[in-house]
Amino acid sequence: MAQKILAKSQVQRYTKVNMPIINLREVSKLYGFGDATTIALDEVSLCINDGEFVAVMGPSGCGKSTLMNIIGLLDRPTYGDYSLHEREVARLRTNQRAKARRDTVGFVFQSFNLLPRMTVLENVALPLAYKGMSAGRRIKQARHVLERVGLHDRAFFYPNQLSGGQVQCTAIARALVNDPKIIIADEPTGNLDSASSRLVMELLSEIHKTGTTILFVTHNPELTRYATRVVYMHDGAIVHDEQTAIGEIAATARKAMYSMPSKTVDDDLAGVSVLMKHVPQKASDTVATKKEPQKKKPAKKAKTAKKTKAKGGKK
Amino acid sequence: MSASSRGEFKMALSSVMSTKWRSMLTVLGVVIGVASVMTVMGLGQGIKQQIAGQIDHSGKNILMVRPGNQARYENGAQLTNTDVLFGRDAAGALTTQDVTAIASVSQVQKSAPLGIISSAAKAGDTTLSDPLVIATGSQLPSVIGQQVQYGNFFDDNSANTAVIGKQVAHDLFGESVPLGQLFTLRGQTFMVRGIFSDFNSSPMSPTAGFDDAIFIPYGAAQQLTNNGLQFYAILAQSKGGSQAGAAESITSHLLTAHGGEHDFAVFNHSQAEDMSSSTISLFTTFVSAVAAIALLVGGIGIMNIMLVSVTERMHEIGVRKAVGATNRQILTQFTLEAAVLSGVGGVIGVVLSIIVEALLRTYTTYHPVFMWQAMLLAVGISLAVGVVFGVAPAVKAARKDPITALRHE
Repeated sequence: MAQKILAKSQVQRYTKVNMPIINLREVSKLYGFGDATTIALDEVSLCINDGEFVAVMGPSGCGKSTLMNIIGLLDRPTYGDYSLHEREVARLRTNQRAKARRDTVGFVFQSFNLLPRMTVLENVALPLAYKGMSAGRRIKQARHVLERVGLHDRAFFYPNQLSGGQVQCTAIARALVNDPKIIIADEPTGNLDSASSRLVMELLSEIHKTGTTILFVTHNPELTRYATRVVYMHDGAIVHDEQTAIGEIAATARKAMYSMPSKTVDDDLAGVSVLMKHVPQKASDTVATKKEPQKKKPAKKAKTAKKTKAKGGKK
Repeated sequence: MSASSRGEFKMALSSVMSTKWRSMLTVLGVVIGVASVMTVMGLGQGIKQQIAGQIDHSGKNILMVRPGNQARYENGAQLTNTDVLFGRDAAGALTTQDVTAIASVSQVQKSAPLGIISSAAKAGDTTLSDPLVIATGSQLPSVIGQQVQYGNFFDDNSANTAVIGKQVAHDLFGESVPLGQLFTLRGQTFMVRGIFSDFNSSPMSPTAGFDDAIFIPYGAAQQLTNNGLQFYAILAQSKGGSQAGAAESITSHLLTAHGGEHDFAVFNHSQAEDMSSSTISLFTTFVSAVAAIALLVGGIGIMNIMLVSVTERMHEIGVRKAVGATNRQILTQFTLEAAVLSGVGGVIGVVLSIIVEALLRTYTTYHPVFMWQAMLLAVGISLAVGVVFGVAPAVKAARKDPITALRHE
């Protein structure tokens, strides 16, 4: 599968700690005004270094996507400073922002956002077209990237002729085609089944090994095993930030995971409390129902035996 | 940029093609505009050439005397005033006295008057309700250089005889050579004594050719109209030498006959052409302007559909911006699309007008001419219309924030 093809330049740079490539200082994002003001981000400060693989977790509506959009230059913060690759984003002109989106950041969406009337190859080559590259070179480079993600034999298919996993791999190829410093994936596996999720995460993991900084949003605690760092968000703020080893499910996420099938009245309907209960700062200790961890105990020990897990992590 | 702009063009073309039905309807306005501009200009040019042919037909050294003074030549040969609507300046008349006066001018070799009488023609049970009846003189065939195919032309003093065009022979008598047949005009009986060969051009008007005409001696016509006959033109062929001399002596003779009043005009060949063609030009310009308005409306149609397209494809715009399209690139894309739409409309319009012109040539007496200048003008205008009207929606598309555009479904 994908991981075999990616074997080439596996520069193991991810352990190296560099200067921050993403630096957010008290960034806020407000929607609406007057009484109807919604605070999507509440003075978030976040430093991400070159080569990190960051998972962002949190309940729906906690501002994860807003944060991703701001980091990916799709949106502008209402207050606060943000520097990307040591450049103050607030000072960039519209044109320069577009160029940064094209060259520095690759964005992967939950809903894929491929153009339906274009073939896989054309979709992947689209960012190159905006670079003004000649058609021949565009095709060559897009083909090369498609090969990296293992879709070279699907180049002339249309997105609706592919499986969800393949579509997301195409989207990743498009994000990758300009060789960006950062890839931002907003719930890349949100619309995928467990097998496709694996495919996509393995691919991101391979890309990370070549030295690309990756940020991804997920609801699935199991996917934190790919990350080097996990950031937990709640109500527009970062409530916890922990380093984790690749291959291991992050500590906080793991606790939440095993206590998931809770039926206690204390756990609210949105399912927010389960994860938040285990966030250290906010840990409201009370009724952490740990009734059925026995099912997952063996899996916990054999943490690298991924092959056995067919059911993924979807609740 | 050139390599990528070709890609952009292809992209624009493919997105136009993807909504074929709607694009077709959008383009219809431009198609009709371009086709009508081109057809009208072609028709105008065709009529001009027909008239030029008619004037050529009557010979280079023919002078034409017309009643009224609707055209003035000042500063030499500059045509300065053409009163199309025959107002005050058109007052004046040419009568049989003038015919005699012109015939008596020494520099005039031959002359023939042309007057129109309105009368139904009856032969047996057949009635032509509105034939073209022309009162003229015996020298007409040689002045306009037209052969009488059967029989012969009448003399000036022959009464109640007629020479007819081929079409009249068929319509009135149902035969090709109705020599010696009788018919009545205003209750008087006339006898056919000659039939003209086919006329190459239509000297009267594009719709009423001389093939449809009945020619009678002006003496007989004078009786039919109780001496009220007036001529719309007198043709005079000058005797070798200069036309200018002949024109001058005709003018002086007629001035005497008209008691010193200059209520007539003498044209030579090129002046006659000037006068008719300037009238037609005026008309063509006017109708072209109307057609150009159709083109403008077509352009507004394009703007409308581009605005819809921008709203509909907001999400696509968002995706494009998210992968790094600059505002200018989005602007270029949508402007190009509008230009492609109107350009395609222009080309279809040109093809349509060629077809319409061919049909007109085949089924009517009009002979529209294909003008490449008109084609360039029409296609150029339609392209310009597309770009001008495409820019506003394109600007709207380009200014969208990527995230706003992306959220738009």
